[in-house]
Amino acid sequence: MKMIKTIPYRLMLAAILFFAIQSQAWAHAFLDHAEPKVGGTVTNSPSVIKIWFTQELEPAFSNIEVRDARGNEVDKRDAHLGDKDKTLLIVSMAQLPDGTYTVNWHVTSVDTHRTQGHFEFTVKAAQK
Amino acid sequence: MKNKKKKFAVLKNGRGWLAASGAVFTAMGMSANSACAHGFVGDYFFPPTITTDDPFATDELKLPSVSYFKSPAAGGGPATGTTDVGFEFDKEIFPKFALGISGDYLFQKPDGQQQLTGWDDFVMSAKYQLWQNDPHQAIFSVGALWRIGGSGSSQVGADSASVFTPTIYGGKAFGDLPDSLKYVKPIAVTGTLGVDLPTSAEPNNLQWGIALEYSLPYLQEQVQDIGLPRPFRDMIPLVEFSMSSPLNRGGGQTTGTINPGVLYETKYFQIGAEALIPVNSASGHNVGAIAQLEIFIDDIWPKTFGFPLIGRDN
Repeated sequence: MKMIKTIPYRLMLAAILFFAIQSQAWAHAFLDHAEPKVGGTVTNSPSVIKIWFTQELEPAFSNIEVRDARGNEVDKRDAHLGDKDKTLLIVSMAQLPDGTYTVNWHVTSVDTHRTQGHFEFTVKAAQK
Repeated sequence: MKNKKKKFAVLKNGRGWLAASGAVFTAMGMSANSACAHGFVGDYFFPPTITTDDPFATDELKLPSVSYFKSPAAGGGPATGTTDVGFEFDKEIFPKFALGISGDYLFQKPDGQQQLTGWDDFVMSAKYQLWQNDPHQAIFSVGALWRIGGSGSSQVGADSASVFTPTIYGGKAFGDLPDSLKYVKPIAVTGTLGVDLPTSAEPNNLQWGIALEYSLPYLQEQVQDIGLPRPFRDMIPLVEFSMSSPLNRGGGQTTGTINPGVLYETKYFQIGAEALIPVNSASGHNVGAIAQLEIFIDDIWPKTFGFPLIGRDN
């Protein structure tokens, strides 16, 4: 009885370990962290928006665009990967006045899986 | 498929057998939109749920799913503890349409009796994603289950008669809420509603269920970085309601379980665990448990899985 009861759980553990040590890096690319932070507030207009993803990206099929509250695009449309970090997607920014901005991203990981997302950040100058 | 993944045992003819559970859902039909694989609707990732079925017709492999539940004494027979080791495999055949098969190997121990083991009836499924709206993170699907009578072992109470269960599935996440409700945005609800059509004199059962989940990954990645460290930011707490309501032929009262738990997402797999809490005395008196490993086969083998056999996704 004890052996029978433990076999299913051993099977599950073995399966988890097997897939956990897969050497292939292919998978969907999800946002790992960003600058400015997701939902964050900054006191200075950011010169770039940086998003780090969980997988390396295909540059030709990955993009960021930033829009203001009126829907106007306010980035410089030069989205590109980091020089040495292919999980980093960067776009340059124009000078932003105070306000809330939406970052829309869509990326394709190196194994061709597509993901997309968006988040907001706020520019609010520090009160003197 | 998970409507047939039985979560509690009911005695029949002195032997334990597992009765199917189900889910209720209110469909939200919306205009068709582009499809995304792997459980995505727009920006929102709907995780594969454990004890109710999700509305996606994608490549999936659940191996193994392990549960334990003790059913109450009924029909003159003793209470029975059942360990269920199951699997499920689904494959997208053409865009938005998938076929699947699932099986459960049962270890049944009636009180005061010897253990009984064997396969339950196998279940085949078909599912089609009918509508999807990415901006509003909503999806609606239709499908059917075929419990193949006679494919399992009568020793564990597998039926000789088949059961067909036409089913509807739906899902809605709340990422489209205004920012004033931003901490509600990571919530999603999915559900299923089906009706058993047995080929025998067994009752017609309404199979229904709901999953209510809160996506911490969605919170961190798309709403507010609250600084959650890993592994917590990769977790999705949820509660599922898995029910079966006899409609006729003296089938008795509604039975089922309420299943609180958590899912943990990695690059290649999801592991989840839930408690199985009987909703009434007819469902049982003891809390059971289930754990499941969902393997993201489209991520591990992207050249083999993650796209339809015939045709191409948008």
